Amino acid sequence: MASAEASSNLSKKVQVQRYKPVEYLKDNYLNAEKGIWSWLTTLDHKRIGILYLMSLTVAFLLGGVMALGIRMELWTPAQTFIEADTYNQLFTLHGSIMIFLFLVPSVPAVLGNFILPIQLGAKDVAFPRLNLLSWYLYMAGAAISIYSILAGGIDTGWTFYTPYSSSTGGAVTAMTFGVFVIGFSSILTGVNFITTIHKMRAPGLSWDKLPLFCWGLYATSIIQILATPVLAITILLVGMERILGIGIFDPALGGDPILYQHFFWFYSHPAVYIMIVPGFGIVSEIISTFSRKTIFGYWAIALSSLAIAFIGFLVWGHHMFVSGQASLASMVFSFLTFLVGIPTGIKMFNWLSTMYKGSIKLDTPLLYVLGFFFLFTVGGLTGIALATIAIDVHLHDTYYVVAHFHFVMVGGMVMAFMAGLHYWWPKMFGVMYNQTLAKIACFLIFVGFNVTFLPQFVMGSQGMPRRYFNYIDQFQSFHQISTVGSFILGIGFIMAIAYFIHSIFYGKKTVANPWGSRATEWQIPSPAPPHNFEHTPVMIHGPYDYHKPMADFQLGLVQSGNGHDAEHSAKIDKKAEAEN
Amino acid sequence: MANHSSAKSHASHVQHHFVDSDQQFDAAKFGMWIFLVTEILFFGGLFAAYIVYRAWYPELFTLASEELNTLWGGVNTLVLIGSSLTVAMAIKSAQQNQKKNIIINLGITIALAFVFMVIKYFEYTHKFEIGIFPGQFYAFEGIDHAKANIFFSLYYLMTGLHGIHVIIGIGLMIWLVKKAANNAYDSEYYTPLEITGLYWHLVDIIWIFLFPLFYLID
Amino acid sequence: MSGHHISTDKTLLSVAGGLFILTILTVAVHYLALPNPWSIIVAMAVAVFKATLVAMFFMQLYWDKKFNTMLLIASFVFLALLVGFTMLDTMFRELPVPSF
Repeated sequence: MASAEASSNLSKKVQVQRYKPVEYLKDNYLNAEKGIWSWLTTLDHKRIGILYLMSLTVAFLLGGVMALGIRMELWTPAQTFIEADTYNQLFTLHGSIMIFLFLVPSVPAVLGNFILPIQLGAKDVAFPRLNLLSWYLYMAGAAISIYSILAGGIDTGWTFYTPYSSSTGGAVTAMTFGVFVIGFSSILTGVNFITTIHKMRAPGLSWDKLPLFCWGLYATSIIQILATPVLAITILLVGMERILGIGIFDPALGGDPILYQHFFWFYSHPAVYIMIVPGFGIVSEIISTFSRKTIFGYWAIALSSLAIAFIGFLVWGHHMFVSGQASLASMVFSFLTFLVGIPTGIKMFNWLSTMYKGSIKLDTPLLYVLGFFFLFTVGGLTGIALATIAIDVHLHDTYYVVAHFHFVMVGGMVMAFMAGLHYWWPKMFGVMYNQTLAKIACFLIFVGFNVTFLPQFVMGSQGMPRRYFNYIDQFQSFHQISTVGSFILGIGFIMAIAYFIHSIFYGKKTVANPWGSRATEWQIPSPAPPHNFEHTPVMIHGPYDYHKPMADFQLGLVQSGNGHDAEHSAKIDKKAEAEN
Repeated sequence: MANHSSAKSHASHVQHHFVDSDQQFDAAKFGMWIFLVTEILFFGGLFAAYIVYRAWYPELFTLASEELNTLWGGVNTLVLIGSSLTVAMAIKSAQQNQKKNIIINLGITIALAFVFMVIKYFEYTHKFEIGIFPGQFYAFEGIDHAKANIFFSLYYLMTGLHGIHVIIGIGLMIWLVKKAANNAYDSEYYTPLEITGLYWHLVDIIWIFLFPLFYLID
Repeated sequence: MSGHHISTDKTLLSVAGGLFILTILTVAVHYLALPNPWSIIVAMAVAVFKATLVAMFFMQLYWDKKFNTMLLIASFVFLALLVGFTMLDTMFRELPVPSF
């Protein structure tokens, strides 16, 4: 009979017992209620996560098709098969869709929604109705964006710089309104997560035991609520410029176009941290599980997420070095951009140190994470290069920048997202996908990605501008290699979607904890039960302690029911005991 | 095994994922404060634009501000402060189980909000009469500054956005009156009143800053 | 019943009264036409004080968890960062607005 150590933060003692999960749960959240209407009106965070997964897959495919269109057009230096104006619309939509409809929601809306409450030991997020509203706002914004594509399109680039965006034809107002609506979706998710993390942690779950995935989502949500409103007002102002000729950003009306850029990038730079920080959280979870080792430097990783969130708000001017910004501002922004690389570097070292002398299991999630290490490091270091003003003057608006941000966003974030999907898929659907195919797809994605984007660094440093429909002959071989790579990349993603969908219908049923992790979400059955827990879980260790027996992570309050009753959660006065 | 039938052991307003009424109230208030943070950053963008332009063209702001009526701006400020008082009273009435007073206090708040909008309406129409329109429709000759349209664009944007928030607040409070008339609120449960009150106080605070920034420039 | 502080009528009415007086005060100061930059400094100081009164006593932050107050302060900090860093650019250019 092992005795449980009382948490240092526990202010009262409780009686606990072990709740061993069944391996496969027949009455789970997927079949608890049947029919499409039950899905469309669900308040279950897990189902909302799945709804988001479906929407985001469609968005990703749409954005991906646009990318392939761009790459095909760039096969030859002159026009290949698309008009110049259409080309401008393609890259604008590729960027807008991938960023606003895919990357910004991605991990928080899909994996965060699904896993966060479970990791906290909660039955749901704090505001389930807001959560559902958040998905509907996403769908509404997406519909408005699709409408704007069909109603004339936009060719301003995803950055909507004024005065072009405030004066050009096309459906700019509609598209920006679509983004405005999606912004609210993002804000509501942030509100929900911060409240849930603060107010709904299970007994014993003090901040020093919070999973790093939750820390990542916490930092992300802070950025979401502080930055997104500024984007909202900026978009509103562009709309007002177009409709009323307000003149804040248009020099012809007395305004300042650089002011637009300040407001836009005040959101859009922190937005890239919204996109990547949840991915960092996933990496921490996977590294620990697949090295079967306690994470190295827990507080360093946790606090570095917050540091990135904070410093990330102070660097936006590095997008504006050549816009006419004052030199003083440029120098300050450049220096702060160097600083923001440090907390990320700290994470990298901590992750690698976690793997050192660990018991490594090269399953698909870990393969994606290893790919992430290489690709994100390249992306991050090239970001530091771009932060150097003297270098940026030459590289701004070239393919070097394009390659940099694809390395961090695709090589970093999408790889992390894939890692998370492959990791948590058994918990979400109770099935295991074909692991051989998964590894092949991972390999294709990694190779395809490098073939697509490494040549772009070289092209860019030789002067190939971004967003250009035509180019000079010397760049043709680079472009062609890149295009070949993009199709390999596409095949890899299609494969992944295919075996995932196949697994939902024909996959082999899996066990509660196929990876042997200590984290809380693996201590409940697969697929998850409708209310996550039938007991009130009690956490007495952090989630990365592989020295402790699995039973220590399956503890819950000794009481009937799962803590819904107010009376039962009132003062309980017993010595803490663990029983097998 | 759902515990949805456990209404007997706790109030029916407690949602299933909360442990008790206190946790739910706490979470709602906390969530509302986070939303208010987003509202502050939302308006804040406009305040930032204001500060940038005023720092560039201080003389414009001094000149153009004379077209705004300080008296009516001041009256509106007092009106909103009064409405903040009455909404706080409405919450107090709920906390003390005085159902009729909830409705009376909410009603006064709504009435004061209407007064605010009526005064705003007259301010706007007076400006329209002399040609002060927003943006490219600006047609007033009385200010000797090339960028006069920018001042009034900012004025219309900021007071307009604020006005929209007042109207939203009116709508929310009318809904609250309806629910209060159906006995939805008492000392056990008055969360919607509390969080709407917080929203309304923020609307008041924003005006507290808008008033000197537009009406009291010299 | 934690977090359910009930203000007294006296508190609410005195705060409202204070806000009324401060409003009249700030209008009166406006007519004094103080030299720049004092007029804006005084006006903003009064506004900040009024906003603090509303936040602390009408919004009940005085009796609430400290974290909610921190949230409010944090939002103003980030707003200050937005304005401050933007002005690092706008105040140090040679021409305010790029002109043609």
